[in-house]
This record gives sequence, C-alpha cells and structure tokens, in this order.
Amino acid sequence: MQPYRCLMKGWAAALILMAVVVLASPAARGAEQLTYRLKWLFNTSAVGDLYAVAHGDFADAGLDVTVKAGGPERDAIKELELGQAQFGVASADQVIRAMGKGSPVVVIAQLFQENPLQWIYRQSDPPIVQLADLRGRTIGITYGGNDETIMRTLLAKGGLTDRDVKLFSVRYDYTPFYQGKVDLWPVYRNTQGIVIGRKMAANGDPVQFFIPSDFGVKFVANSVVTSRQMAQERPDTVRRFIQALLKGWTAALDPNQSDMVLTMLQDYDKDTPRDELQAQLDVTRDLVQPQSGEPIGIIDTDAWMQTEEIMYNQKQIIKKVNVAGALMPGFAFGQ
Amino acid sequence: MLPRRIYQFFIIYALGLALLLGIKYALNLSNYVIPGPAEIWTTAQEEYRRYFSDVMNTMSVAIVGQVLSICLAGFIGIVGRQTTWLGSFVKVAAYNVQAYPIVALAPIIFILLGDGFISRLLIAAMICYFPLLLSVLGIMSEPVQDIEHFYRVTGRMRWQLEVKIRAFENIGKLTTVVAGSATLAMAGTIVAEFIAANAGIGYSIRIALYQSDLGKILVALFLIGISLSVYQGLLEWLGAAIRKAWESQ
Repeated sequence: MQPYRCLMKGWAAALILMAVVVLASPAARGAEQLTYRLKWLFNTSAVGDLYAVAHGDFADAGLDVTVKAGGPERDAIKELELGQAQFGVASADQVIRAMGKGSPVVVIAQLFQENPLQWIYRQSDPPIVQLADLRGRTIGITYGGNDETIMRTLLAKGGLTDRDVKLFSVRYDYTPFYQGKVDLWPVYRNTQGIVIGRKMAANGDPVQFFIPSDFGVKFVANSVVTSRQMAQERPDTVRRFIQALLKGWTAALDPNQSDMVLTMLQDYDKDTPRDELQAQLDVTRDLVQPQSGEPIGIIDTDAWMQTEEIMYNQKQIIKKVNVAGALMPGFAFGQ
Repeated sequence: MLPRRIYQFFIIYALGLALLLGIKYALNLSNYVIPGPAEIWTTAQEEYRRYFSDVMNTMSVAIVGQVLSICLAGFIGIVGRQTTWLGSFVKVAAYNVQAYPIVALAPIIFILLGDGFISRLLIAAMICYFPLLLSVLGIMSEPVQDIEHFYRVTGRMRWQLEVKIRAFENIGKLTTVVAGSATLAMAGTIVAEFIAANAGIGYSIRIALYQSDLGKILVALFLIGISLSVYQGLLEWLGAAIRKAWESQ
C-alpha cells in the first residue's frame, strides 16, 4: 500500500507543477504570440532584442515573443509576407529592394544610427583622411553585398574608379587581410572589428577603421520592420511590441547595467569571452545611441533617403520607391 | 536519348515554375518573395549571356572533377575489391574521408589552396567520387563465376583480366553510374563556388542571394539544368557507343 500511496503523491505533485507552469505561461495569460526574426545570429548586435525577452519586457506588454536568430540565408521581409514572422530586423538596402518589388514592408524603428559595417586597416598604413587616399589600395568587398554598394559610392564621391583601386572579393576567411594582401577589409565594427582588432594588436599590428559616414555616406543598417497590413490592422500590437523592444534596448545599453547584460549575453554567445563582449557592448552603445540625445530607435529620414539615392545611382533599384512613405516612427514615439 | 532528356527537363522546370507561381498568386506574394513571369523573363534576357558563361565555367571544372573522381574510384575500387588487409584498409580510408561533410572541409581547402580552380576541382571530385566508388567496389567485388572459373582452372587469370571481365559484364551499370555522377560533380562545383570561389554559377547565385533576387536564381537554375541534361545525354550516348563497340569485339 505504501509504495502505491507514494506513487500517487508523486503524480499529484507533478500534475500541480505542470498546471502552475502552464497557467503561468504568457500564452495561458492570453498573451499575443509573435515571432521576431533577427538579421543575424545571437550576438552583441542583438543585445537589446535579447534583453527585452530575458527581462520580460515583452511579457509585461502582454506579448509572447519568440526571437529567432537570422543568418545569411534568412530574410525577415520575406518571412513577414509569408506569415512566418510578424516583426523582423532588416537593413535599409533590403527594405528598399523589397519595396522596389512591391513588398508591403514598413519600418517602425531604426536600431543602429551609425552603420556598423566599416573597413578595418592597419595603423601602420597611411591614414585615410580624404577619399583620394584610397587610391592604389587593395580594398575588400563582398560582391553583391551592401559593402560593395557603399564602397562604390565612396569611390564615386572621391572621383575614383575601379582602375584607381584594386577590389578584392572577400568571404568569411580573413587570411588575406592578416597576410597583408588586402589593405582594407569590411567588418562589422562592433563584433568582427573587435575580434580582429584584438588579434592584430596582440601581434603588434594595431588597427584603425575607415568609417563611410565620416565621408558623408550614411547607409542605414539594422531597423525593425513589419508588414503594412500588421501596422494597419493591429496598430496596438505594433505599438506595444516596439515600445517594449526599445525599452529593452535602452536598458541593455545603460552602462550601469553592463554586468547583468554581459551575463545575459554570455548565455546566448558562449564562444565570445566576457572581456571581448564588454568591448563589443561599448562599441554597440556608440553605434545605437543617437548623438543628438534623441531616444534609441529614432528613424533618420535623411539617411534613409540618402540610402535610396545611393541604391538608385548604383542601379540597385530601377526606380525610386519613396522610402520615406514606409517610415513609421509613430508607433515607437507616439508622433 | 538526348532530345528526350532535354524535353523532360523542360517539363520538370515548367512544373516547378508553375508550382512557385501558383504559390505566389494563391498567397498574393510580392515580386520580392517570388518574381512574376514578366520579371523572370526580363531577368533572363538581361542575364542569360553572363550566366551561360558562368555555367560553362562551372561545367568545365565539373567535367575535369568527374574524370578525376572516375579515375580515383576506379583505382580504389580495383584495389579495394581484394579481400586482403590492404583492400580492407583502402575501403575504410575511402569511407572515412567521405564521412566528413564537405562544407566543413571546404574552408580548410580554400585556406590551403586558395579560392581558384584547384579548390573547386578538388571539392567537385570529393562530392562526386563516393557513389562512383560504391558502384565500382560493388561490381569489382562480385566475381563472374561462369567466365572467371575457366580462367582460374586453366591458370590464366591475372588481375587485369579479372577487372576487364567484371567491367565488361557490368558495363551497363557502370555507364549509368558515370552519367549520374555528372549531376554530383556539377553540384559539388556549385557548392565550392558558393562557399568561397570567385567564379562560376555558384558564385553568381550567391551574389543573387545577397540581393534576394529569386529571378536571377531561377534563370541560373534553368541554365544549370539544361546544360546538365545535354551533358548527361552525351554521356549516355557515349556509354551506349562503348557498349556496342565492346559487344562487337
């Protein structure tokens, strides 16, 4: 009899535990279920997105958000159309290209105010103080990538052509840069830039960065997108989502919370040492926070229009798409 | 044989395209997700010359890679057919090399050999050779008792003769496998180009993917498919000619 009673007690305890877990879940509390597709893998560039989940900002807004990592073959805008995600992160070139092909995408916040895509080069090389200084250098670009568009714009702005520089097709392997075969290599300043910069510095070869916006080229990077249908039919959900997300970003970039944020980041990015994550977080803060003192997530309309102009001039789109019409900061900031 | 392969490819491609367009219109998707017929046609007109040249570039590497893998599979198959320690060792080594996914090995190959012709060739051969090896091993390990028995009892059997008898008796299987392996050689070369090379249709597909341009990818797939169909048709024709020549001897 005794073993039978113990077994029954065990089952009862398990059932109660399951009921508590189920009833406490956001879905059971009537939270709206949403999917948010990132542009890249879980790393420091998504620190605010991850913080909003980990810290319960979405749950507080009555949302049950699943954040999914992105990758080279992922495209959040396509997933919005296919109904696989309700929100996503996309760069401006993706948004403009999609609009050029009739995709009903809208932008509800701009996460990075400064594009993290920059070029790394050795401090021992002559500094690039004007675009003409690029002449004669071997420059890495990803053919078809937005770094190609940015670099070609910079070259055109500096009155240079393909013949004045040597363009080198880059992939994930940095060996040609380490070997000195390539002078400038495109990197994400806040992630790869830190890793490569540290390796080079450790070998007595410190680096510096060539920043396109210093030369007037502002090509917008990661922004939060949703579908026009979502914005029109579920404005309250969009508002709650973006406000919770930006709350997460603001808290994640607060220097006073660094320790807690780094501990959280380490759960997602186990391969990067803590001190490296710290350096990445510091740079991310500079790239995300607007210099003007405006809140995180503000949409720089002029930069978007310039990005469209660049893509049109580079024949990336065959006609202008009026990107300003797709910018909807009102959900985030109640304008 | 060749015309049949080509029109069968047209049917398959048309069915695939119709399915995609059916999804597009059923779900009301924009041209960004799935391009419409007009956009695909415009893209084809704009890109076919460049993409055809890329496909030829890829195919030339694939053909050389396939020849290499046929030689390699033939050599290993002949050595591995023996029930000796060396035969079994060669088989184990060949199987183990194949156990590593090529996408994991490819970056190492590209670092060591650069992103040019040799790396693409090596990867094409590595992807293509294993099914060939399995077939060659299977054929070469299976004695043709009726014929071989005579040579054995008369003491005239040599390894060259044994290989010839088994190849001749299975020539149909061998030519089918060789024709089929062309697909793998092409796929291997495209994978290599996709990962790291700077030329070929795999590289162009990668660029199109960066730009989320499915229209370009559909055009590339059409050109890859049609070129491969022609090549396989030619291989089958060659196989039939060889079989006829052997049979007439």
